[in-house]
Amino acid sequence: MTPFDYHRPETLAEAFRIAGEIPGARYVAGGTDVLVRIRSGRERPNALISLGRIDTLARLELGSVTRIGARATIGQVLDHPELTSAYPLLAQAARPFGSTQVRNLATVGGNLCNASPAADMAPVLLALDARVEIEGPQGTREVPLDAFFKGPGQTDLAPREVLTTIVLEPPGPDARSCFLRKSRVGMDIALTSVAAHLQLADDRLTRVRIAAGAVAPCPLRLRAVEDLLEGRTVEPGLLDEAARLAASEIAPITDIRASANYRRRLTRTLVRRAVAAACEESR
Amino acid sequence: MSRECTLDVNGSLTTLQVAPSARLIDVLRDNLGLTGTKEGCGNGECGSCTVLLEGRPVNACLLIALEVEGRAITTIEGLLGPGGKLSPVQQAFVEAGGIQCGFCTPGMIMSATALLEANPAPTDAEIRDALVGNLCRCTGYTQIIESVRAAAVRLGTGDRPEAPR
Amino acid sequence: MSDCRHIGKARPRPDAADKAAGRTLYINDLIRPGMLHGKVKFSEHAHARIVRIDTSRAERLPGVRAVVTAYDTPEIRIGFLNDNFALKRDKVRQFRDEVAAVAAIDPDIAAEAVDLIDVEYEPLPGVFTLDEAMAQGAPLVHEMDARGNPLTTNELSLRYGHESGDLAVAERASAHVVEGRFSTQLMQQSCLGTAGCLAELDMSGNLSIWARTQIPFLAQRDFTQALRALGLPGRNCRVIVPALGGTFGTGLDTHAYEYIAIVLAHRTNRPVKILYNREEEFANLSPRQSAEVEIAQGCDREGRLTFRRVRVRQDNGAYGSWGATFPTVMLLPVTSLYRVPNVSFDARLVYTNNTYCQAMRGYGNPEVTWPIESNLDELAEAASIDPFELRMRNCNEPGETTPMGLQVTTCGLKECMEATAAKLDWGAERRARRGVGMASLIHVGGSGRIYRSDGGGVILKFDDFGQINVSYGGVEMGQGLHSALSLTVAEALGVSPDKVTINPTDTGTCPWDVGTHASRGAFIACNAALAAAEKARAQIFAAAEEVFPRLALQNLERYCVQHPDYRAPTFDLAAAVKADRFELADGQIVLRDAPAEPWLKVDLDRLLRAIHFRGSRGEVITASAFYEPQSDLPDWQKGVGNMSATYAYGAQGAEVEVDEETGEVRIVRMVAAHDVGKVLNPQTLAGQAYGGLTQGVGYALYEEILTEQGRILNPSFTDYKIPTIREMSFPVHLEFIETDDPAGPFGAKGVGEPGLVPTAPAIANAIYDAVGVRIRDLPITPEKVLRALDARRAASAGKQTSTP
Repeated sequence: MTPFDYHRPETLAEAFRIAGEIPGARYVAGGTDVLVRIRSGRERPNALISLGRIDTLARLELGSVTRIGARATIGQVLDHPELTSAYPLLAQAARPFGSTQVRNLATVGGNLCNASPAADMAPVLLALDARVEIEGPQGTREVPLDAFFKGPGQTDLAPREVLTTIVLEPPGPDARSCFLRKSRVGMDIALTSVAAHLQLADDRLTRVRIAAGAVAPCPLRLRAVEDLLEGRTVEPGLLDEAARLAASEIAPITDIRASANYRRRLTRTLVRRAVAAACEESR
Repeated sequence: MSRECTLDVNGSLTTLQVAPSARLIDVLRDNLGLTGTKEGCGNGECGSCTVLLEGRPVNACLLIALEVEGRAITTIEGLLGPGGKLSPVQQAFVEAGGIQCGFCTPGMIMSATALLEANPAPTDAEIRDALVGNLCRCTGYTQIIESVRAAAVRLGTGDRPEAPR
Repeated sequence: MSDCRHIGKARPRPDAADKAAGRTLYINDLIRPGMLHGKVKFSEHAHARIVRIDTSRAERLPGVRAVVTAYDTPEIRIGFLNDNFALKRDKVRQFRDEVAAVAAIDPDIAAEAVDLIDVEYEPLPGVFTLDEAMAQGAPLVHEMDARGNPLTTNELSLRYGHESGDLAVAERASAHVVEGRFSTQLMQQSCLGTAGCLAELDMSGNLSIWARTQIPFLAQRDFTQALRALGLPGRNCRVIVPALGGTFGTGLDTHAYEYIAIVLAHRTNRPVKILYNREEEFANLSPRQSAEVEIAQGCDREGRLTFRRVRVRQDNGAYGSWGATFPTVMLLPVTSLYRVPNVSFDARLVYTNNTYCQAMRGYGNPEVTWPIESNLDELAEAASIDPFELRMRNCNEPGETTPMGLQVTTCGLKECMEATAAKLDWGAERRARRGVGMASLIHVGGSGRIYRSDGGGVILKFDDFGQINVSYGGVEMGQGLHSALSLTVAEALGVSPDKVTINPTDTGTCPWDVGTHASRGAFIACNAALAAAEKARAQIFAAAEEVFPRLALQNLERYCVQHPDYRAPTFDLAAAVKADRFELADGQIVLRDAPAEPWLKVDLDRLLRAIHFRGSRGEVITASAFYEPQSDLPDWQKGVGNMSATYAYGAQGAEVEVDEETGEVRIVRMVAAHDVGKVLNPQTLAGQAYGGLTQGVGYALYEEILTEQGRILNPSFTDYKIPTIREMSFPVHLEFIETDDPAGPFGAKGVGEPGLVPTAPAIANAIYDAVGVRIRDLPITPEKVLRALDARRAASAGKQTSTP
């Protein structure tokens, strides 16, 4: 591993200052992706600025809005009964996330900032209409999560900025959801994942949110599918149509894990199954 | 370039000079001589390097040593009871045949120890969830699951050590 | 031996406690004073001329102690074909070719130095598929053979075949014939402990090398040749085997990195350790060799097999290693799995610019059992016979001699198949998309002779405290050899297994052994140990004739003091004390047909001291024996020879459920029934069966080294997927059939490899039973299943539309 310096600021201001002083430094939270990339030589930062001692970043608050500190680990999310009962999707995505060991290190914010197309927390947070708070030397701003991803490994973050908080609205009165994910074996990068979040009013689908992972350069909302389903009653033909539409909205690639064609097929199946399962979910 | 760092490992504090980029696994093995923690992949995929950080299992290959300064770390060597007696989980792995080549064993036992601390009577599915990050190439896992079940029984019958920190 | 004290009873393995405590030392943990860290510079091309190597920048890096290339070191040829070199000169033939190496004071400096070595290449066109390599005018991987004779083709000169009976006649006479093409992938052994070695030379040039090896003595021979190349002829080479973090075949050959460590140790006069990381392990070691197989089998109207024709082509990669000898083991199932009177076999091996290949559990056997057993289900369908029934009609039986000339002594295949079918509820109604399948196996069960000696020796050394130290030259690599060996010695010498210590494997102290392969470890070691124990007993009993009466009378004296009313029975001790009347039991020596008086039993340690401390006639007991199994070195071109002292059989079955929308295969349960001869330790035996089966599941469904133009694309656990505990979330039922083999120790056969062998075809047959698609290339990924389902749906849709 190429040697690097390591800084442990205790405030964001100190983090910004160090980032300003050391060109080539990068932030690190859980380190489960960053250290792997450094070890492989894909990244060679001269210094890491750990966010591990900035405790304000790890808060979990449920209130009029839910605020998940970006440095909360996946394990902390999973172990937070109020959070997971309010947002079952978070638990569904967190449970198969890596391994116990990885979940105890990896952070929600880190998973988003790495901007992997296959990031496991992204589809569920997209389906929950998450917003992210970003803080930098110039101040604080908030962006919708689906505007945060810019490409594989690329985000809306400017140099020195830190993603501090993920903000969620309270779940709707009759919200239902389902997250489905396929991988080759346990503890594996997703081949395809789909999150569905919706409300049922008099058998009609409303506030439909469908998001998918690992099937495009960024995790993405399937807006055409959402538009199709919005206001409709559930019937098999509709779900088949939604599945077909989903396949046309994505741009999967072929890699060593699966072919684009297979990912397309999986997306169709998972969209249909996720919406059906969400509708059948009893509240 | 090295920094002074005080690590809390198995209940003992040690102050030592470490490179800022040194990983916890390197310091445990090379500086503290705790070679029970194994490096099987260096990428957090195999779990051979599992140690407990404040009681929770983590991959020692994915942690920078400076990051965990001052936080309680438990390694396989720290599980031994008074007089060097194997812990109930270690003893269960010995007796139930959960060990073959032994390279994954320390990590496997650390994960199992943390699981049983949090969940004294896990189902097989819960055991699988807890150990999915510990690869084993020898056993096919069946006797590992049997070992964890046996450990749960041992712990439940009063053979319970002090909780790992 | 029905009333065994230790054999057949579950007992924790002797090394378990240290492993549980993290105390066991693997190559990863070994350090020697003054030790340097070696690192290899690998090729950046699959096929290229080396134009220039500039090591000057690396040499100038502080902390570097040596940089070596083929241009400044003596040539060291390696591999059984002598076609490989420790360091490559003039040309590279695969991405993992070693072009240079460094030794430095720490691993980071060594890695940095390797990056500072500049190699200029002139790329050459390469061959990466069998067809490319066998095409007219294909670029040659090797321009000449090891003797310097020019080569005109990429095909290896090794020949393997078999012809028995009249195939053409048999084929014409068959009621049903089914042909098929099958393929298998490159599989990585994926030992959790990565590869490494530590080499050290003394001032006389004697070498000690700690190595992750399964063949300490063949390695010693190879390294001794390397010493000669280094100008150190006649020097001693000592191979020491530390605890092994798995091997599964990867330790069956010596590796370039080991010779490089020796060269660096020689150059620097310091101990040098080379340890591969996981990526190096994946990219630079030899995986299990892939195979393309064409098969045809036929049967008569009653389902009796009439013939079997198997044609194999294998991508050998750039150099010869044991992958090139896979056909020697393929011969077993091809000629001898089920009774088949007419057999034709041919195997061709081809050099390519891909990674060269090696052994892994099963060694060629799974590569052909997969097509044989898949094709057999197709044949059963063609003949409208239940697949289980078809197998039973052709089952091997004790006493038969197979077309290869294998002499079947004991054979429990019928019982294995029956147990498998019973446990799977064969023939029961199942819900949609569920199915069952089974497959059988034959494997060497009494070692497998591929070398002119197939034996191994054991030394037993008794000390004054009644401890018995055992030296055996094979290796414990996790499989439980030391468990079987300690139980055997304890049983044979009437002592507790706690009194038996197995010494570390070291060519300096252990007798010769050919290596731990072919499921032979326990079979050979325990047979040798039984022979050595017999000699030890004879020595002890002969000496006891002299010392026993005195010790017994001392006992009696003491006993009478403690029990004043005791009246000893009338017994002529002097007349009774004869060597052939002694027995060892429960850590004591006793006399057969003597009164059961306590004073007539003498503790073994006391007896041993008495034998030792008796003036000029004193002796300490050691005994050694070398066991050479009764078997023949086959003629590989003819494919004939009784290569093992006995044969292991087994059957495995799977019930699976297939998701027709995703192609995913979920295993519902599996059964493994094996003819093990005799159960030595049920706990370690189960471990072998579960472990082999699980590797078979990986082979069947998940594992594959992917390459592109010779470059390995997935050299990590991130993308090379072995089964995790989550995949193994189905019950596995084990059944052990005891056939008490006359050649086996206590009747036991080898058990190490069989669990892997029939797993893939059992699963593939179950998938076919579930959803009617047959996958012919491993691994059976969801994507392949879905594609096959799509093709079947399209075909049946086509049929429907064409039906008026």
